[in-house]
This record gives sequence, structure tokens and C-alpha cells, in this order.
Amino acid sequence: MMLARTAENIYWMNRYLERAENMARLINAVSHVLLDLPRGASFGWDVLIKVVGLDEAFHRTYAEANEENILRFLVGDTNNAGSILSCVERARENSRTLREVLPSLAWERINAMFLTARHEFSSALSATARYQALAALISRRQALSGLLSECMSHDAAYRFLTLGGYIERMDMTTRIVDINAAVLMPRHQVSDDPALDLLWMGVLTSLNANQMYRRHVSVHMRSSEVIEFLLRDMRFPRTVAYCLSKIESSLAQLPHHEAPLKLLRMAQRRIDQMRFESLPPPLRHEYLEAMQTDLIALDECVASEYFRFENIESEL
Amino acid sequence: MKIDIGSYPHGSFYDELIDQTGKTRPVAKPMIDYLTNLDLHEINSRKAAIDAEILNMGITFTVYSEGENIDRAWPFDIVPRVMAASEWRHVERGLKQRLSALNLFIDDLYNDQRVVRDGVFPAEILEGSKNFRRQCVGMKPPFGAWANICGTDLVRDADGILYVLEDNLRVPSGVSYMLANRQLMKRMFPEIFTASSIQAVDNYTTNLYETLAAMSPRQVSRPVIALLTPGIYNSAYYEHGYLAQQMGAVLVEGRDLVVEKDDCVYMKTVNGLRQVDVIYRRIDDDYLDPEVFRADSTLGVPGLIRSWRAGKVGIANAPGAGVADDKVVYTFVPKLIHYYLDQDPIIPNVPSYLCMNEEDRKYVLANLDKLVVKPANESGGYGILIGPRATQAERDACAEQIKADPRNFMAQPTLNLSTAPTLVSGGLAPRHLDLRPFILQSNKMHVTTGGLTRVALREGSLVVNSSQGGSSKDTWIVEDPA
Repeated sequence: MMLARTAENIYWMNRYLERAENMARLINAVSHVLLDLPRGASFGWDVLIKVVGLDEAFHRTYAEANEENILRFLVGDTNNAGSILSCVERARENSRTLREVLPSLAWERINAMFLTARHEFSSALSATARYQALAALISRRQALSGLLSECMSHDAAYRFLTLGGYIERMDMTTRIVDINAAVLMPRHQVSDDPALDLLWMGVLTSLNANQMYRRHVSVHMRSSEVIEFLLRDMRFPRTVAYCLSKIESSLAQLPHHEAPLKLLRMAQRRIDQMRFESLPPPLRHEYLEAMQTDLIALDECVASEYFRFENIESEL
Repeated sequence: MKIDIGSYPHGSFYDELIDQTGKTRPVAKPMIDYLTNLDLHEINSRKAAIDAEILNMGITFTVYSEGENIDRAWPFDIVPRVMAASEWRHVERGLKQRLSALNLFIDDLYNDQRVVRDGVFPAEILEGSKNFRRQCVGMKPPFGAWANICGTDLVRDADGILYVLEDNLRVPSGVSYMLANRQLMKRMFPEIFTASSIQAVDNYTTNLYETLAAMSPRQVSRPVIALLTPGIYNSAYYEHGYLAQQMGAVLVEGRDLVVEKDDCVYMKTVNGLRQVDVIYRRIDDDYLDPEVFRADSTLGVPGLIRSWRAGKVGIANAPGAGVADDKVVYTFVPKLIHYYLDQDPIIPNVPSYLCMNEEDRKYVLANLDKLVVKPANESGGYGILIGPRATQAERDACAEQIKADPRNFMAQPTLNLSTAPTLVSGGLAPRHLDLRPFILQSNKMHVTTGGLTRVALREGSLVVNSSQGGSSKDTWIVEDPA
């Protein structure tokens, strides 16, 4: 028996955890890419805040978009609700209300993750220390995911957990695929910029996808192939198609799922019908924005169907 | 360096572990021998490991201070408080006797009021009681038990006798810390447990589940039990989550519940509404049902009392049970035990002066520097005046309050609370303590094995409340040495 409020908390707990992990991956990957860039390259640290859609929030607080400010903002700034530390803290606050649902060790792990993050991220970090701290956070999250997958009943609570995780992951993957727009929106011809190959490599690295891409697709990083892979590949667990299939199977096992499943199928059709090779970057951007809109609608529908009680029919 | 138990101060107070001559009491000997054989450095490093464990396990309580909620790690002292099983059996009988009488008393107050008509309990006290709920008159909760979960505070005075200090019959907390303390001790000092025969404490949650399940109005094999919490900002939220988890109960807030037209209580689940059979509420009466009690309460459930009165849901503790959780009512408990059970009280009360009686009041006002004065309805150690430690201005202010509202005050002699060795920097020092066992009553009665020992960490301090700088100890009930 799953309380509506509990379902909402567990859904958001995992969204926050996924968001924190994705942000950590993205920061580490972009740091790597930037090290390889020639002087005067067409993009810099500000690509990070644009990709995650926090550039406006950033500029409200910080004057200059330099490395130090951007990383402080994204990692340990508790005034930024989207920073890694804020996400871990909110995941912990949510999990506090879930102690009777989650395996007890899970709470201890999330709590420890928060205590470490607060300790490590509250002050500015050197590049080396930052890399290690973020890598450690990623592996703690992975250990936690393993614990939840292996030590928790795959019941309704678990469905909401996976639902939140995959919706958040799909959100991040679509944003990352749209990195072109963040970097070079005005230009049409992009394939001859050598820095861009490095960037695509970074994108794949941030998703831990680089090895699997080479194995299944190609050793060359052509943007249309990378995008095709990240959107449509059904084997790699961070692609949009894969996330959608997991969202679908989680929904399928929940009650009264007709409305969210309908929206999900619409999003799937949109991906199936896209022809990336022939699309100029500005149109790609529009498509990817449309996918973000699909996702927002899906999240909204899950909330009204399961969390806000007014839509649930009493079964007396 | 090792702890030198020979230099432990003895003789000025009753000490739980060390006798008047400085010898370790027989029940505590294996434990003290073990600790004094460890290097102080080793003890301190295990203590640090325990503190880290407490933080990681998130064993916390919340203190409201300066407009902010602060989550504090649960304070814990590694030296257990040890009691002999023979003494505990006596205490256990006394606690059951006391709660039986209290429940008969509450049931009587809300029904025939024989106790008032027979002149045992003054009508004017009942009239002045803040916790008597007219809305509960005529109710007959299952098994006649209104207070299903009771936390009774015991203290030992210089004479070595255990006294009842107060009965907490509203929403007593602390039992999860008792369970956590044992868990911590076992993780950090497993060797000690093989040296003594220490009785287990962890049957509490099963007993609690059975106590609650027996109250279900529906005869089903697994009734739905919900623990109703005010939410994460409550000081005992950790405990609410822990108990729900251990019992397999659903942890709910008021907004998760709804009373429908059939007077049944339902919870809002992702599958729709599901009926709830028993509610273990950790919310005060005032906030329980805005239709009946405080209308501005957002923590409660509109219609809950209607459902309860219609016999559609069990509520523990029953609304209104707090009428007996009152420091003035407390003074009548020995008489109530005689009246309802025709027995002598097994555990005595602390001698008390009721300010509503003119003679007592005169004595209290003339002897404020020797007495502890308590308001009738506060908990958590708030509003208490410890006469010998107060300033003249504080005593004068207290005298004015007593004169203005005598019904609301009682006074007791300042007790010489017993001490036990407690880890301080550099070794062991005596610190004052109390004991809160928990007693359960519905179809059966259960008493925790021992209870929660709270200890005042400041030298000489008598205030053990965790909200005011107290710490806690694992409590051992040990078979008497042959």
C-alpha cells in the first residue's frame, strides 16, 4: 500500500539523486574537454550552465562567468536549487520521510552522501580535488542504486523510484544532445570545427557512453551519428529511447496508467519520426525542445494521476 | 592509560554501579572489569566510532531554537546503567499495577465518575483540568485501555528507593532511542555482551504491533496500522519513522488521511482510498481533529473523532487519555491504586505538595528554596523551578505564579538523584540520571526490559532532558550473580 505523498517523495528523491549524479558527470567531462581545447576556442565554461538551463539563474547572482564562479554555482552553492549539494540535500530530506519504505541501509547511505558532500563542496576546490570528489559522489550514487535495485522489493515504491530516475535521466540526455545549440546556435555548418569532435567526445564521456558508442557504432565522432545513438539506441541505458522504454515498463506496472502511457507513446513517436541527418542544427534544436516539452507534460501527468489526490477515484 | 575505578568519587550520592564503600556492585562487576581493562585511548576511539555511527544512522532529535529547527545527533554515553533482574521484576509489577489503575481511573472519569462521587478524587480538580475532553465522555475504548502506551519516569533517591516521578500518558517518546542505544552498544562492545547475561530489549516493537493490532475494529488477519506524525519538523520524527518501519506500519501525516461518509478513516494511496484500522497517533489531542478540537490545526484529520466514536477506528492513546497526565493528578495515584485495585502501591510516589490545598501552598511558598516546583501540564522539563539553584528573583516570580493559579502547580522536595559512572574527559565521573520504562496495555500488558536511561552531562546537574543538554545510556537488566 503506497501513500500518494510517499510516492511523490520517492519519485523526487530519485530525480534529485539522478540530477546530482548527472551534473557531476557533466562537470567532470567538460573539464576534460576544456583541457584539450586550443586557445580562443568557440566555447568555454559557460556551456555548462547553458546546457543545464541555469544560465539566467547564474547571472542573477554572479557577475562573471568564469570557471571558479560557475563551478561554485553548480557544485556547492546552496542558493542554487540545482546545485549538486542542493540536490543531495533535497534527496536526503525526501528520503527522511521514506524510512519505512526504503531499506534502512539506504537512508544511512544517502545521509552519508549528504554529510560528505556538505563537507567537501562547501569550500572552493582545486581541479584535482574537485575531480576526485565528484567521481566519489558518482560512485556512491551507483552503490546506492545497486543497493536499491538488489535489496528493495520491486513493488510500487520501486516503480516510482525508477520512474523518477529515468525521467530525470532522459531530461539530462536531451539537454546534452542539444549541446550544439548551447555552443554554436547561430552557425549552420558545424562539422568542420575540430573542437567540436572533442566536444562530442566529452558528451559521450559524460554519459559513460564513449566505449559503448565505439563498440556499437563507430570510432569516429560524427555529430549526426552520436545524436542518433544517444536518442535511439535501445541497448545503452542512458539513451532517450532506453529511458522511454523503462518509463513505459514502470508505468505499465502501476494502476490507472492510461493517461501517462498515452503521452509516453507520443514522445516515442516523435523520436521515431525524426530524421536527424537531414536536419540543420536550428531545426534539431527545435525538435529537442519539443522533446523537453513532452517530458514536462509526462511529469505533470504522473503528478496529477498519482500524487495529487483529487484525480484518484475512491474505490468504495 | 587505564581507568582507575579506585579514584571514582563515592558516598555522596547513591550510585547505581559503585556502592558506598567504593566497591563495584556485583551486577555491574563484569562490565566495569571489562571497561577498566581497556586502554582509555581505546575507549575514546570506540566512543568516537559510536558518535560517527549515530550521525550516519541519522539518529537525531530536533530542537527548536532561535526560530530554527536544528537536527542534533542523539547524545550517548558508553557506560551502561545496570540493574539486577530481581529488582526489575519488582519494578515491572509496580508499573503494570500503576497503569492498570490509571486506565481504570480514566475510564471512570469519562463514564460513571464513581471516583468523584465516592470522594476520592475532588470534583474541582476535574473541573480545572485542561486535559479532560468533554468530547470523549461516554466512550468505551477496547479493553478499557485509554493509555495504551505509557512512559513512566523513575528516579532513585539517596535512600536507594526508586520513586515514580511522573507518568507520560499523552504521546511519550524515547523508546526508539532505548532500542538504538542497545544496537550501538552491541556494534561497538560485542565482547561485553558475552561476559554478562543481559536481557534483550528488541521485543518492544513486536509487542507494540500486537498491542495496536488487538484494537482493530475489523477482525482481519493483518489490520492496517498507521502511525500519525506531525511531520519531519517534530522533535521525535526519527522515532516515528523508526517505529513505523519496525512494525511494518504506514507512516502518515494528517493530510494523507480522510474520513468518508461511512465514518471510516481512509488513507490516500496511489491505488485510491484504503481503510485504516488503527492509528498510533503522535499528535497531541489539541491538533487531532479540527472539527472537534483546535479548528486551526492543519496536522490532524477532520472527522477523526467522529470515526473513533462510531467505533470505526482504534486510536492509541485514546483521545482524552491525557487527563491523567497531569502533575496534580499524579499526587492521587497511590490513592487510586487503593481505590481501584485494593492494593498497596508497589512503587511509591515522590512526596508532593499540592498548591491548591491551602496548607500545602503555605508550606511551598515558605520553602521555595528547598523545593522543586512544577506546572501541572508542561513536559520536556519546561517551566520547572529548582528552588535551591534558582535566584531570589526567579523564586519570587514563581511565588506570584503559584498565587495566581494554585491549581496549576505542585512541589516536591529536591531529590538527590542517583548517579552512575559516565565517560568524561579523563575517565569516569558520577552523573545524575533517571529511567523511563514504557508500558503497553490493550488485550495484554507489556513492560520494556529496562527503559531509556537519561543522564545529565553537566557536573551536578539534575536536568536529564535531551532538549536541555542531557545524554543517554544503554540500560541493562542482568541476571543476579549466584
